[in-house]
Amino acid sequence: MSPLSAALLALLAAATPPPQSGGEGQAEASAAPRRYLVERVVLEGLSRTPESLVRRYLLVGQGDLLDEERVLLSRLRLAQRGWFSRVETRLERGSERGRVVLIFKFTERNTLLVSDLALGATAPQPIYGGFGLSQQSLLGMGMELSGAFVYGGKPPGLDAPDRFSLRGSFFDPDLRVGRMPPVILGLTVLWIHGEEFACVDPECSGYEGNYAGAPRLRYSRAGGEISFGIRPAPFERLIAGFRYERLGATAATGGPFIRPGASSLCALTGLYERDTRNDLFFPTEGSRLLGQITFGSRAFGGDYEYSRYLLQLETDFGMPRGHALRLSATAGAVQGEAPFFDRFYAADHAYFSIGPALGRALELNFSTDSRYDALLLVGGAEWGIPLWQDGAFFHRGYLALGARALWSAERPRAGRTAASRTPLSAEAALRLDTPVGMFNVSLGYALDVFL
Amino acid sequence: MLLAPLVAVAGLAHDVAPLAGDLEIKDGRLVAGFDLGPAFPPDLRKQLGNGLTNVVVLHVTLAPVPGEEPAAVYVRETEVLYDVWEETYRVTLRDPGHPRGHHLTFAAWEALRAFLAEVRQIDVAPASILGDRTWVVSARVEVNPVSQELLDRTRELIANPAAGARVGGASRSVLGAMASYLLGKGATGADVHVFRSRPFSARGGAIR
Repeated sequence: MSPLSAALLALLAAATPPPQSGGEGQAEASAAPRRYLVERVVLEGLSRTPESLVRRYLLVGQGDLLDEERVLLSRLRLAQRGWFSRVETRLERGSERGRVVLIFKFTERNTLLVSDLALGATAPQPIYGGFGLSQQSLLGMGMELSGAFVYGGKPPGLDAPDRFSLRGSFFDPDLRVGRMPPVILGLTVLWIHGEEFACVDPECSGYEGNYAGAPRLRYSRAGGEISFGIRPAPFERLIAGFRYERLGATAATGGPFIRPGASSLCALTGLYERDTRNDLFFPTEGSRLLGQITFGSRAFGGDYEYSRYLLQLETDFGMPRGHALRLSATAGAVQGEAPFFDRFYAADHAYFSIGPALGRALELNFSTDSRYDALLLVGGAEWGIPLWQDGAFFHRGYLALGARALWSAERPRAGRTAASRTPLSAEAALRLDTPVGMFNVSLGYALDVFL
Repeated sequence: MLLAPLVAVAGLAHDVAPLAGDLEIKDGRLVAGFDLGPAFPPDLRKQLGNGLTNVVVLHVTLAPVPGEEPAAVYVRETEVLYDVWEETYRVTLRDPGHPRGHHLTFAAWEALRAFLAEVRQIDVAPASILGDRTWVVSARVEVNPVSQELLDRTRELIANPAAGARVGGASRSVLGAMASYLLGKGATGADVHVFRSRPFSARGGAIR
């Protein structure tokens, strides 16, 4: 804006008739709009987040005519990035009449969250556990760095290698290079030393009172995935990636499929996600659709020829008294000779399983059930009852009551794999939203451990 | 059995305060006057004086007891704009009596607060609908509500692909956790206060 037009605007503002004061401190007034010029935009309260990053999301700048809607949109855009617990705006007088200083005041939030917390026990494994942390805004730049581990130690009664799973990931949802449109960049690395019991029957006689002598498959995985993506629309994400893992396995008869000795897995991956939910913690409207495809091939340098398809859908509805209903469905299929860990482990998708199967922890299986399936169908419903909001540490809490039906099969026409004695499972959980993450105190999981 | 106390407190999304004020039947209409002071605490002065437009929305509903859908609703929207150069509060009030807006100016915060908190002579409903039933009047004050349309214009999918997308699914845990990104009350600055009257009925042309 030129100095002349700024001066004219200042004159306009100065010419607006002053309001009158009347009885009881109030007076009738005209609806004359204000025409203020933004002399400066000041950012307050930033200690970790760089100013340059914040200014990317501002829709108003120095020299603009004050547009309150753009100020509000800027505030909302910044608030939803997840870096701040509060974003406030205010005006102060500028250097001369008709000019104002626009001030954004930020309260930075804790961005180090607990991402995984696992504790479990099975008959062959008295205790195992793990932990994960996620820095949601690395160096205040809006990028995410996460790490998690699960440790099970040596199998009881055996002088064998420790079992553990390590996973690290980096994620930039908004990588900008020059004038190119922003892209998504993801990098995941993993290192797993694990075991699977090799008896086909999870309750076979080989386990009776002596897990140390049971046949086992020992394996290792080391590798990762790099992915790039775009956001075709505000609520959509399209990501393509390449995955490489170096695998090692002892020879075992009857265990889940993996090539004995050293092998490699090379695969192209694709992911489409559309998420219009109004809240990640307690959504009351919107839906989430996720489709994932994996192609493993010798053409890419690997030893496994397979494809894997996974489709997940969730829809959420607001109900009377502030309650919420969530309907969800999952369908998956694997073709070809996929290694066992790229197939579907039924207990991962159930609230609980009646029998030895137990959901895995960071892909480590501590149960005696080592059946992995090629086909998966899951349908479920969950009713959410809000309990409180505006709490101090526990910001929000709700009670989730859910039911889920699961069907999985080793191959087409093989019939349901009885990973659980019933295809139905149920859940009663207390879900908590806290400054350090969202927590799920689950009766279904407790049942899963003991059933 | 452990779940019972949790279910018992379910639905208390907002604290409900008693509604202090008067209800009367005047010229065949149910007329109300309230003191909504707790919705306008002294520290709100800073927010309403921030130089930008602030919106205060008052919803008054008349509903039969036990809880059914409201039989009458009154809505008043008040825009408050503190002019940093004039040092006055410009107010635009819209309600059924002023659909195009009634403009006022307040020179002092105390006068503005009294105007917002002391609601007088609201025409809630014709008295004829009261009949023999028992009723309750509720007042809901929202300070700077953010419309869904505005939220939709600013929302983006920025969270990390969910753990469910991982090969093998998410890790299972007693206390599973995931990252949160979306807007909460604190982030948007929106505030809600709910007040509710004692149950009443109309007998002999008076409120009891």
